[in-house]
Amino acid sequence: MTAKPALAQLSGAPLIEGPQDDGTLNKSLLDFVWKEARPGWYALICIGLALTGLLFSAITITLARGIGMWGNNIPVAWAFGIINFVWWIGIGHAGTLISAILLLFQQKWRTSINRFAEAMTLFAVMQAGIFPVLHTGRPWFAYWLFPYPSTNQIWPQFKSPLMWDVFAVSTYFITSLLFWYLGLIPDLASLRDASTSRRARIAYGIFALGWRGSARHWHHYKIAYLLLAGLATPLVLSVHTIVSWDFAASILPGWHTTIFPPYFVAGAVFSGFAMVLTLIIPARRFMKFKHVVTLRHLESMAKVLLTTGLIVSYGYVMEHFAAWYSGNIYERHIFFFTRPHGQYAWAYYTQMFCNVLVPQVFWFPAARRNIAVLWIGSVLVNVGMWFERFNIVVTSLQQDFIPSNWASYAPTWVDLSLYAGTIGFFGTLFLLFLKFLPAIALSEVKELRHEMAAAEEHQPSELEGAKP
Amino acid sequence: MRRFVLGVFTQPEACVEAARQLHAQGVPGLDAYSPYPLHGIDEALELPPSKVPLVALVGGLFGVIGGYTMQWWMNGVDYPINVGNRPPHGFWTNIPITFECGILLAVLSIFFSSIFGFFQLPRTYHPVFESEQFRTASLDRFWISVETEDESKVEGLREQLRAVGAKRIHTVLEAT
Repeated sequence: MTAKPALAQLSGAPLIEGPQDDGTLNKSLLDFVWKEARPGWYALICIGLALTGLLFSAITITLARGIGMWGNNIPVAWAFGIINFVWWIGIGHAGTLISAILLLFQQKWRTSINRFAEAMTLFAVMQAGIFPVLHTGRPWFAYWLFPYPSTNQIWPQFKSPLMWDVFAVSTYFITSLLFWYLGLIPDLASLRDASTSRRARIAYGIFALGWRGSARHWHHYKIAYLLLAGLATPLVLSVHTIVSWDFAASILPGWHTTIFPPYFVAGAVFSGFAMVLTLIIPARRFMKFKHVVTLRHLESMAKVLLTTGLIVSYGYVMEHFAAWYSGNIYERHIFFFTRPHGQYAWAYYTQMFCNVLVPQVFWFPAARRNIAVLWIGSVLVNVGMWFERFNIVVTSLQQDFIPSNWASYAPTWVDLSLYAGTIGFFGTLFLLFLKFLPAIALSEVKELRHEMAAAEEHQPSELEGAKP
Repeated sequence: MRRFVLGVFTQPEACVEAARQLHAQGVPGLDAYSPYPLHGIDEALELPPSKVPLVALVGGLFGVIGGYTMQWWMNGVDYPINVGNRPPHGFWTNIPITFECGILLAVLSIFFSSIFGFFQLPRTYHPVFESEQFRTASLDRFWISVETEDESKVEGLREQLRAVGAKRIHTVLEAT
């Protein structure tokens, strides 16, 4: 059914560069795990650990003194807690998109980056989870969110999108974790078998669960992996849709809109791809993965960034149009006064610049192939997407219906420490992942190399012609 | 005591072809090992269709029915909560959690049925690992194993494996 487009993808710039065989791929992709970590890695992990320390100090202060340590007030009762939650969850979505949706679409270029992106998803969702749990005010009662027969003799209220969120995010985390681990098992077996020390052999052996690559296992494995991808695809769409309902189901101007679900999903993929680029550009250089994460991969990601950026821009246009066309004075006030002219006008213009204008450079092939432009562009998109959530959360709450209810908002040092801390914690987890696990899905890359070799053998003329 | 006669191949196609020939010759207890899924090995060994989709379906349906019933019973029957005078049992507002429960149960059943059921993992010991060279099975070599209880058949199986093109042949004995 899809053999032809799949074959066509193997033409053009190669997805794996250089003459490679299974042996050289084993060596080059596992080399980083076996080699002594370099000073740069230690320096980065020190920064990461320092920020993680800051995170746990800020959490301790929040637990000891309460939410009053945050800048939240009434009416701005949702602030950094929700902004950062949505930002991190959004980043996570690219991982699932790459590993699941691109797998179903048979996009071969996903093979080299899916493991990396899935790890990013997992660690991003961990950071995301911290915020709403703390924001409940009494996080030690967070388990009340789950339906269990408690002595209170009442049940959660399932009509609230906040409850839907609990189910969506927990399902998302569990699914991402199991999908990632299932993909890792054959590579953990490769690490076990390529190990030279007894300690590594035992450690990786435990996590490989005794995988021996039997054809009878692969037979079930292939279908299990495909089904997990098939289930993760609607799941990832539902998660950010439900996150957007947290807002859209309220009646607040700027939140109460039907464009939110698709616009949030597109925004999530947009920021997630930006984060993958931000992380993979330095990683491919320092970990020597340039032969499997080629310019063609980066270019494809830049195209996704452009496409989702355009969808997000369309979302912005539509929400402004709907506010104007509704004739509702509160809606008009938020979109045409509070956001562009209010206390946080600069945040609004930062959002528009980073999310609408910056991705436009990726129309140009030269920009898509320029590493520096790609990296700076991806960082700016991350910044822009954070400010988008800031504007949605803060400005809508700041000036709702009655002017006597209006207030200004400023984050405190605890808010900023929590945010910076999660970035550090995320970075620490990611660095440990890069050091101890195969960051590139080894067995899938070997399979791709074999497919490429087979395709070249069968249709040499067609592929020769397509090569630049 | 189980014995495994193991043959090594350097090319995946050669391994699949050898498996096909051995299977056609009616050799019992065949299996192949590779660092990535081999194309055509399912047909060569005539493996029956995987039951994973069935397990996923059952798990998913269980999640959907269980998730919906949970919400209906908790909010509609056991402890009705009046929110803005909406009916305690709201079909539409139950959909998101029903969907998430369906996905969750399907995913859990796929993962755990694969690991514990279809793969029979985790296991700390398998006779094929008795051969130190077998470590290449997850790296860059392709292996075929024939399992037998009968020591007298080993020599014949080695011959058969050599005939279908195995580069090297090892025989391992299950540790007791």
